[in-house]
Amino acid sequence: MKRILARTLYTLIVLLLSSIAVFYAIRLSGGDAVSARLPASASYEEREEFRELLGLNDPVHEQYFRYMGRLLTFDLGKSLTNNADIYTMLTEHGKNSLILGVAAFVLVFAIGVPLGILAAVRRNSWTDGSVMTFSVAGMAVPNFWLALLTVWLFASTLGWLPSAGCCSLKQLILPAVVLAMEGIALTVRMTRSAMLENLGQDFVRTLRAGGLSEASIIGKHVLRNAMVPIISLAGLRIGQIVGYALVVETIFGWPGLGQVLVNAVLRRDYPVAQFFSLVLIAIVVLSNWLADVGYTVANPRLRRT
Amino acid sequence: MSPDPATSPEPSTDVSDPAMSSGTAPDVSPEPAPSRADSNGAARRPVLSVRNLHTAVSTPDGAFDVVRDVSFDINSNEVLCLVGESGCGKTITALSIMRLLPTPPVRITSGEIVFDGADLTDLPERRIRGLRAERISMIFQDPLTSLDPVFTVGQVMTEVIRTHRDATKAEARDMSVEILRAVGLPAPAERFDSYPHELSGGMRQRVMIATALVLDPEILIADEPTTALDVTVQAQILERLRAEQQERHMSMLLITHDLAVVASIADRVAVMYAGEIVEQAPVDELFSDPRHPYTQGLLRALPHVSGKRRELVPIPGLVPPMQLMPPGCRFAPRCPHALERCWSDHPALETGAEAGAGFRCFNPQPF
Repeated sequence: MKRILARTLYTLIVLLLSSIAVFYAIRLSGGDAVSARLPASASYEEREEFRELLGLNDPVHEQYFRYMGRLLTFDLGKSLTNNADIYTMLTEHGKNSLILGVAAFVLVFAIGVPLGILAAVRRNSWTDGSVMTFSVAGMAVPNFWLALLTVWLFASTLGWLPSAGCCSLKQLILPAVVLAMEGIALTVRMTRSAMLENLGQDFVRTLRAGGLSEASIIGKHVLRNAMVPIISLAGLRIGQIVGYALVVETIFGWPGLGQVLVNAVLRRDYPVAQFFSLVLIAIVVLSNWLADVGYTVANPRLRRT
Repeated sequence: MSPDPATSPEPSTDVSDPAMSSGTAPDVSPEPAPSRADSNGAARRPVLSVRNLHTAVSTPDGAFDVVRDVSFDINSNEVLCLVGESGCGKTITALSIMRLLPTPPVRITSGEIVFDGADLTDLPERRIRGLRAERISMIFQDPLTSLDPVFTVGQVMTEVIRTHRDATKAEARDMSVEILRAVGLPAPAERFDSYPHELSGGMRQRVMIATALVLDPEILIADEPTTALDVTVQAQILERLRAEQQERHMSMLLITHDLAVVASIADRVAVMYAGEIVEQAPVDELFSDPRHPYTQGLLRALPHVSGKRRELVPIPGLVPPMQLMPPGCRFAPRCPHALERCWSDHPALETGAEAGAGFRCFNPQPF
C-alpha cells in the first residue's frame, strides 16, 4: 500500500514537471504560430497585434499558469490554425487512437505470451528456433519499414487488405499488427526466459513430487511466476505503443491523436500541440504507474509490505 | 490407502498382506534397550526394493554413472538413512525412485525399483504421478526455494489433495489445516492462507512435510530436510519426522551427511561413496562395528560427545572425479589398507548373515 502511494505521488510530480517541459519546449522550437494563422501578406503590426491577442508576448511562466488554470477548468481552447475545438478533436481522434492502441496491446499479449510459452516448453527445438528468429526479426525491423513492407505485400501485391484509412476491421489489421510487432517480439523473449527460469526453480520439483500434472505445473504455477516480470512491464508496452502510434498512424492515414499531434507540431499550433503532447505523456506516465501497481498485485511478496 | 488419512491413527499395516509373515523372521535386536520402530511388533518387510540401480549423467565427454549398482530395501515401518558426502549420489538415488531426475541429462540406465509389485523405472509417467504424494512422498533440502512463491500454502495443498482424491475444497481445507496442526505449525488455519515468504524457514519445512504427509503415504523420502535450518529448529523437525513416521507406520528414507542425525533417527544405514553403497547395516552395528574403511574413516572424523577423547582423523585425499574413477574399488586411492587386488577388481556388496547388511571391501579391518 505504502509502495503504491509513493508511486502515485511520484507519478503526479512527473506529470507536473513534464507539463512545464512541454510548454517551454514547444515555444523554444522556433517557427511562428502566427504565420500559420494569418495570411503571408499580413503586416508586422497585424502580427504583433495578433500575438498580443493570444498572449504570446507575455513571459512564458505567465502563459503557463494561465494555460494550466484553463486546463483545470476543462477549457482546452481552440486550434490556432482552423479554430477547431480541441475537446472535439480529443474525443473524435482519441476514439480512433484508443481502438488502434487497444488492438495492438491485446495483440502483444495474445500473441507474445503463448509463443513465449511454446518456445520455452519446446526449448532448443525447431519450434523454439523459429519463434526466436521471428522475435529477433520483430525487434530488429523498424516499424516504419515494416509498415511499408506490409502495405506492399498485403495491400499492393496480394490485395488482401486496404493500405490505409479508417475505421473498419480490415483497415485496422495492418496498423495494429505493425504497432504491436516490437511489443510482441519483446514479450515472446521475456515470456520464454521467465518460463525457463522458473521451470528450473526448486519449487517445480516440489510440485512434481506432489503428483501435479505438467499441464498444471507449467500452465498455472510456472506461468503465474513468469507473469510477474511480464505484467510489470506491460505498462512499458503501453508507453511504447503510444510512442510508435505517431509513426504508424501517419503512415496508415489512421486519424488518431498521433496524426493530430504531428500536424499540429508542423504548423506550430501551440494549444493543440501542447495539449496532445500532455495527453500522450499522461498516458505513458500513468501506464508506468499502472505497471507498478500491477507488479505489486502480481507479486505477493510485495503486497503486504 | 484408508479413505480419510488425517483421522486414521489405526495401524492398518500388515494384516491385509499374507506374503509378509513368511520367510523373513522378525529380527529382534540383541540389545533389550531402545527397540524403537519395532515397538509395535510389526515384522519388517521390504516396501520398496532398489535393485542394481544405475543412473547416469550424459556429458560432452560421455555418460558417467553417478549412481552405480545400488541395491537396498526400504522396509515397512523403518527409517533407512542414506549417508555420504556431497555429490556421492544420495539425492540422485532418491530422485530416481521418485522419477524426478532432470532428464536429460540424468537418467536411469538399468536396474529395478520395485514398489507394490511394479517396477517404477518403467512405469508410465501418468502412473508415477499417481503414486507421488499419494503413496511415496518427498521433501527437499531448502524450504526457502522449494515452495511456490506466488501461491498460498493452502492453494498448493488443496491442489495436491484434489489431484489425487475426490475432495471438495472445504474438505481439502480441513485435511490441510489438520495436518498443518499435526506437524506443529502454530495457527494452522491462518497459515493456510499464507504465502511462503510470510513464514520462517522452520515453518516452511513444516509446510513441506505437511504437504508430503497429507495423503498418508507409505514412504516418505526426506532429502537433507534439516540442512538449511537453524540448529535448534533442526532438532524439532527431526523429532517431528520421527514422530510422524511412527504414528503413521510409515517407512522413511532419510538422506543426510550428518552422522549425528543418523544416530538419532535411523534404524538402518546405507553409506554411499562415489555413487555406490559401500556399507549397509543396522544403525547400532554400523556405529559399533563399521566394516568398510570409508565408514570407519567417517566415524574417526567425528567427535564423540561421550567416551574418551581421541584425535579426529580426516580421510586423506579427495573423491576422484567421474572421468577418473578407478576400475577397482572406488575407495582404493584413499584407503590405508588397499591391497593389490583392490586396484584391479571391483568388490561386490558382501551380504552378511541377515539381509540388508553388508559391505563392499576385500580387506576389512577391525575398527
